[in-house]
Amino acid sequence: MKRIILVLSLLLLSGCQPQRPVKVDMLIYNTNDNYMYQFANDILDLSSYDIKYAIVDSENSQILQNKQINELIENDTKILLVNPVDRLGAYVTINAAKAKDIPIIFFNREPLKEDLEMYDKAFYVGAKAKESAMLQAELVKEAFGPASELTRYDANNDGVIQLVILKGEESHQDAEIRTNVIISELEAAGYQLDILAIAGADWVKEASYEKMLDLISLHQGKIELVVSNNDAMAIGAIEALDDQNIFNDVNSNGQFDIDADSFIPVVGIDGIPEALRLVEEGKLYGTVINDSKESAVKIVELVRALVKNEKVDDLKFEITDDHYVWVNYKKISN
Amino acid sequence: MQMLRNRSIRSAIIITTTVITVVALAITLFTTLVNFNITTARIVESSSEEINKQLVLNYENYIDNVTETANYISQTTNEYGLNGNYQDLNSIYAQASNIQSDIVNIALLDQYGKKVYASRDDGVNGELVSSKWFNKALETKEIFHFSSPKSQDIFLVNSNEKVITVSKSVKYYIDNEKYEGVLVIDLSMNNINNIASRTNLGEGGHIVILAADDTLVFSNLMSCTTNNCESVQIVDKYNIGSKQVVVDETDMFLSINTLKNTRWRIASFINSEDIAVSRRNSQILSLTVLVFTFTITILAATLIARRISNPIFKLRDHINTINNGNYQKIKLEGQKEVVDLADNFNQMIDETVVLMDQLVTEQKAKRRSEFKALTTQINPHFLYNTLDSIMYLSESNENEKVQRMVAALSKFFRISISRGKNVIKLEEELEHAKNYLLIQQIRYNEKFTFEFDIDERTLDFRVVKLVLQPLIENAIYHGVNTEFDQGHIIIRTLIKNDRLHLEVEDDGYGIPEKKIGELYQDIKGEDSYSSVGLKNVYQRLKIYFNNDSDLEIESELDEKTIFRLVLPLERSKK
Repeated sequence: MKRIILVLSLLLLSGCQPQRPVKVDMLIYNTNDNYMYQFANDILDLSSYDIKYAIVDSENSQILQNKQINELIENDTKILLVNPVDRLGAYVTINAAKAKDIPIIFFNREPLKEDLEMYDKAFYVGAKAKESAMLQAELVKEAFGPASELTRYDANNDGVIQLVILKGEESHQDAEIRTNVIISELEAAGYQLDILAIAGADWVKEASYEKMLDLISLHQGKIELVVSNNDAMAIGAIEALDDQNIFNDVNSNGQFDIDADSFIPVVGIDGIPEALRLVEEGKLYGTVINDSKESAVKIVELVRALVKNEKVDDLKFEITDDHYVWVNYKKISN
Repeated sequence: MQMLRNRSIRSAIIITTTVITVVALAITLFTTLVNFNITTARIVESSSEEINKQLVLNYENYIDNVTETANYISQTTNEYGLNGNYQDLNSIYAQASNIQSDIVNIALLDQYGKKVYASRDDGVNGELVSSKWFNKALETKEIFHFSSPKSQDIFLVNSNEKVITVSKSVKYYIDNEKYEGVLVIDLSMNNINNIASRTNLGEGGHIVILAADDTLVFSNLMSCTTNNCESVQIVDKYNIGSKQVVVDETDMFLSINTLKNTRWRIASFINSEDIAVSRRNSQILSLTVLVFTFTITILAATLIARRISNPIFKLRDHINTINNGNYQKIKLEGQKEVVDLADNFNQMIDETVVLMDQLVTEQKAKRRSEFKALTTQINPHFLYNTLDSIMYLSESNENEKVQRMVAALSKFFRISISRGKNVIKLEEELEHAKNYLLIQQIRYNEKFTFEFDIDERTLDFRVVKLVLQPLIENAIYHGVNTEFDQGHIIIRTLIKNDRLHLEVEDDGYGIPEKKIGELYQDIKGEDSYSSVGLKNVYQRLKIYFNNDSDLEIESELDEKTIFRLVLPLERSKK
């Protein structure tokens, strides 16, 4: 009798099997970008029984990504999840998705507003480039003290911050915004800035290291602050500064002293593991984290609502201007 | 298989062979053709996409060069401005168009459209704040804006050269003060033209570059100068991706891609007529092969079928002639099986001929013996009776009658024997009949008379001997009333309807219709034991003339009775 019940219940179970899960391919502009690879995996980890994610690598080629998008649309995909190679070309993708009434979510590389506004099912999930720089400005304020009387790191005591800015790829949205915003934020807060250089280093550690060495020798002891558009370049700068022995463990507690006279604060953005380690060690004054996990959760919830045809207004987070889901940055410092 | 069941060997072979060959070939050709089409389509697609990709990369490369230069200048503007190095900045702007040949003009403008640095000394257009590129740069910062080709509109002094204006909002420093302005670069069309013309797109192949608002930026197709151009319409329709299309009645493979950082789309139209031509050629070739093979197969199958069926037809026709009695052997050439068949057939013919000969011989012998037996059946009673009469006449000394009787008997037997011949002249047969009548007349004491009514033409015909005597005997015994009356017998010969008629007529009681039927039954029936005399005659005639003879009985009651033999003329005349 027990056996019969078992068999019957198995039959019943198999009879009401769930539908095949929805497969969502996320197009990642380049999986060689460690941050994006991590990000993609955060989303992948959030696959559920009814919505499964897969990573599609666009290998930093918009041509390839166009092809991938076309194939997905031709195969009647339920949703497009795109981390675009060329954010300016997104209007083409949006038009293609709109023609087939397929919802589309961009993430981490922000299309132009005018493009998103063409289609009511086009969304962007990401952080405001501006916000990272605003938090970076906060870090600088913490380091130097109030604008009226700089309490720390003003080596020549002139009440002016002599700084160099390590800029990411020229014309890159984030590089431009971060560079402009940190300056305007500090100026708005009343700080007097002497920008010794805005050095382009293409987001890369090595280029930053070289540029920094040049700047150190050019400005001989004048540099009081290094602002970097991202952590990688900040780390390059720290390596260059390290060569000048500016990081010292004065009290020999195994940690570099950020209060030592020789110390020059460096601030980054991104919060990559090495940067976090350097913050711990005391070499990196602080950084700003773009929380990929939070982004991933928001993306996955938005995807679910769109795939299940639920109202996006009912989501736990706000959809700004009908198209934007903003993700917050966090400051990290010692 | 059902449809082949009732067909000749020849058509079965031809139909089967042809159908199998042609169907197999057609399937092979069809799949090959389909494969070929798919493969060529794929090759065209991938090669066209490759060309498009190369184009995109070339343009992106060029655009990257431009933006790199612009970035360098914007960065330098920042750095030099921060350092107060305005002299060098001035010269960088002044010389930029010399250093990079495709830069026609370059300028940094403040947010009111006033010149800060520039490659030219003349004044700038006072209306810059209202120009599209200027406003776009300030509206959407951080990116480069690429205009459609137009005459330059930065400076007052104009030229006819078409340029693309690249503008971007930048920050610059003067005396450590930050300002916002617009960096603007006019690009000549040369490089864009060059890249297009360097790429081989085939006859009539061309490229089209469209801006984000679907307006035409550039095309190397002479006739394509406005948004109404057919190619622009097609690109509008397909948005992005690859597609086989027809432009100006020419097959083209269209690939559309985005150009990075420009918000442009580039579409390449690559001539794919070659494919259509080779596809058509392969179709024609396939059809030719099919028709050729079809013809060859039918010819070959017909030939083989003929080699097999012709000897069989011959054999069939030969067998038909055999049915008509021609037992010839046949000589056949052809496939081994057919030759064997002919050999076996010939053996069979041999055996048949032997068997037939045997049969004929046996039949002849049988008929002769039957015939003889029947002929010899006549005599004994008559002879005894006659001899008795002779004895009686001699006892009563009627010598004259004895003489006449013996003479008649002697003639009677001479003809009866006739040196063993079975067939004698009618004349002789009549003589024989006369002698018989003479003998019987004496024996019956002149109780009947007789007469001969002879057609002279009949005398030379030959008849089976001793056929009249039994008829006469019958007339005497059954016909004439020998007791009360004087009977009369007429022997008649005539030719009627090409037949020889021998009649024996008497004037006795006659025979009723019913009795005639019974007589016919007795004479012509199978029972051989009744009516010995008449049946004997009938049988002998049948044997001799092969059914080509008859015995008829005609009677009028109390008037006359005629027994008539109807015989063929031809066979009895020799």
